[in-house]
Amino acid sequence: MNPIRKLFWLGVAALGAIGLSLIATARGEPLNAVWLVTAAVCIYALGYRFYSRFVACRVLGLDDARATPAERLEDGRDFTPTNKWVLFGHHFAAIAGPGPLVGPILAAQFGYLPGTLWIVIGGVLGGCVQDFVTLFFSLRRNGRSLGEMAKAEVSEFGGWTALFAVLAIMVILIAVVALVVVNALKSSPWGVFTIAVIIPVACLLGLYLRYVRPGRVLEASVLGFLLVMTGVIGGRYVSDSAHWAPYFTYTGLALAWIIIIYGFISSVLPAWLLLAPRDYLATFIKLGTILALGVGILLAHPPMLLPPLTRFTDGTGPIFAGKVFPFCFITIACGAISGFHSLIASGTTPKLITKESHARTIGYGCMMMESFVGVMAMVAATVLRPGVYFAVNSPAGAVGATPDAAVATITAWGYPVTAQEMADLAHRVGEITLFNRTGGAPSLAVGMAQIFSHTLGMGGLEAIWYHFAIMFEALFILTVLDAGTRVGRFMLQELASHLVPVFGRTGWYPGVVLTSALIVGAWGYFLLGGVRDPLGGINSLWPLFGISNQLLASIALCIASTILIKMGKRRYLGVTLAPLVWLVTVTMTASYQKVWSPNPRLGFLAHARLLSDQLSSSTAAGTLPAARAAETARLIFNDRLDATVTLILAVLVVLVLAESARQWWLYTFGRKEPALSEAPAQLSRLTAQRLRGDEG
Amino acid sequence: MINSRMDAGPFEIDAMLTQLLKTLWHFLREVSGENDYPRYRDRALARGESPLSPVRFYLSRLEHKYSRPNRCC
Repeated sequence: MNPIRKLFWLGVAALGAIGLSLIATARGEPLNAVWLVTAAVCIYALGYRFYSRFVACRVLGLDDARATPAERLEDGRDFTPTNKWVLFGHHFAAIAGPGPLVGPILAAQFGYLPGTLWIVIGGVLGGCVQDFVTLFFSLRRNGRSLGEMAKAEVSEFGGWTALFAVLAIMVILIAVVALVVVNALKSSPWGVFTIAVIIPVACLLGLYLRYVRPGRVLEASVLGFLLVMTGVIGGRYVSDSAHWAPYFTYTGLALAWIIIIYGFISSVLPAWLLLAPRDYLATFIKLGTILALGVGILLAHPPMLLPPLTRFTDGTGPIFAGKVFPFCFITIACGAISGFHSLIASGTTPKLITKESHARTIGYGCMMMESFVGVMAMVAATVLRPGVYFAVNSPAGAVGATPDAAVATITAWGYPVTAQEMADLAHRVGEITLFNRTGGAPSLAVGMAQIFSHTLGMGGLEAIWYHFAIMFEALFILTVLDAGTRVGRFMLQELASHLVPVFGRTGWYPGVVLTSALIVGAWGYFLLGGVRDPLGGINSLWPLFGISNQLLASIALCIASTILIKMGKRRYLGVTLAPLVWLVTVTMTASYQKVWSPNPRLGFLAHARLLSDQLSSSTAAGTLPAARAAETARLIFNDRLDATVTLILAVLVVLVLAESARQWWLYTFGRKEPALSEAPAQLSRLTAQRLRGDEG
Repeated sequence: MINSRMDAGPFEIDAMLTQLLKTLWHFLREVSGENDYPRYRDRALARGESPLSPVRFYLSRLEHKYSRPNRCC
């Protein structure tokens, strides 16, 4: 490296260090968000330039002379060499969902510091590495899926565990994101109207792309965007209309049922009619809005009103129970490290990579971008006054059901807020109320609306920006819901085909209906449990989602570590082993606390015991109506179910780890011959042409 | 390089702008997948195979895309 470059990177390191020290030591006066963004950007730059290069060159040994599957098996359809930046866009759109936006918002209850440090450091050393190595190992195996790699490189058992983990995460993921949408839309006619408009618009685009102009995605997306924006703006008139507003005003329970019915219908409909066109629309709006949010933060450079650390690091937080360790690291999965990414990184993307070196930009770089989205979400949370942040995100069960009770509780915590202030804010964003809007989406929308309206100098349009943000979140959450249900349905069909072969015919309608109903029933049950939960649902469902996601990451890192040992790269094992050890520690601690903690707000079983005692005493006294007793019995069952699911996930982590450790021991002590399942190396045509040119 | 750009006449600037817009349009078509069918058709014809119709190709791409995890949390 020449001296000027050295100086440049030293400057980046120094700037990052200054930014980090400022955000870590800020007390009193609010710090500007630009410092947080600057520190993050410097760490990402250093991580990409040095750490990803080390992993690429020393650990993995990327080799551009070796033909990729896209070149060797090119068929113009599944295997096609694709421009690096085009593939970067596709891969980023696939991995970036609601997780990196919602997780940081929820974790901000600890203050902005723990979450930000985890997003940035966890991303650079954990998440980016997981995505990169999984992508690369799949690339060397003709784009094999994670399950196939687990079977081939670890054992048959590892493959089955991966399959089960994928199904479990799919069910819990869909339930939790559906809960986020329910909480964002309840008692919000404007929001419901906006989302309701999206469905016919998507169907219209589907018909256009299928029958009028097949495959003309750009023009269809532009048309769709204009129609959806008409819905966002038109929602105000619906909301203000005494006649129309009641048609779009629903309780959480009613919305949950609507989403369950919608999920079932969407799963049995052909993908071209609803799922695909809405996915195109969601992708463009997602990329555009994330870019706009980044620009907005830089232009608005808002002060961060939330403190670096709040009093809730001790585990008494109202949004979810549990101390900063391990729950900050479970709450923020996507954005720091997400096991789900290993499913995306193994499969479609490796079949499109032109050169092995592109795996670094796409695998490591895309995850870095997602991590940065997490930082921006954190900034959006910190621009709210702490009292407002807690009033929006705390469930009624934690702060009180009336505005006066809620503001009194939150003010007593040391975060002043008034009922009038909340009413003014709700009025400005066109909502009836913003109290107890748990799930993260409404507070993210308020933060985004403030950033956008300040940046563009259109304070009067805060309500439009708020509902645009709600539409933006709901749009791709519904896509995750539809796509996840469909994939879960395919997986069930494949499993069932081992018993009843006709299920293997994916077009067999009774099979489609039955498996769709099973998948929708599974996530629908968890969703209804979350909606009925007096603590808001997020308190129980989001940690479950985090645990299952980290379980999948643990499996991916176990596979990667096994492959590294087989490649003879034992001395670099720390690259995958360090994040694995951290994840296992976090997952096991969180699972233990969620099941066994004696605190009823934290431990599922303790909460079930508390409700059970209340039920027994009320029944004995004859003071509980029958309907209330049935509801309490259902809550007790849900707590026990959540505890069982958590235990199963924790046992799976232990089993996968034990099986992998057994394999490592066998390879290390020569008890088993390491055999990689890589596709045979073949000289790249591009490299061969270059070599011939050099000789000529 | 900077000087030569600054010295560029209106026609050169016009040409540069046109080229920039063309590149952007091409990139958008690639990202949206609109170029996939022409590429596939050319490849199939070069191999002497009869290509799928645009509609069949579009539907088969969707079926492949949405039969495995392709949208993350």
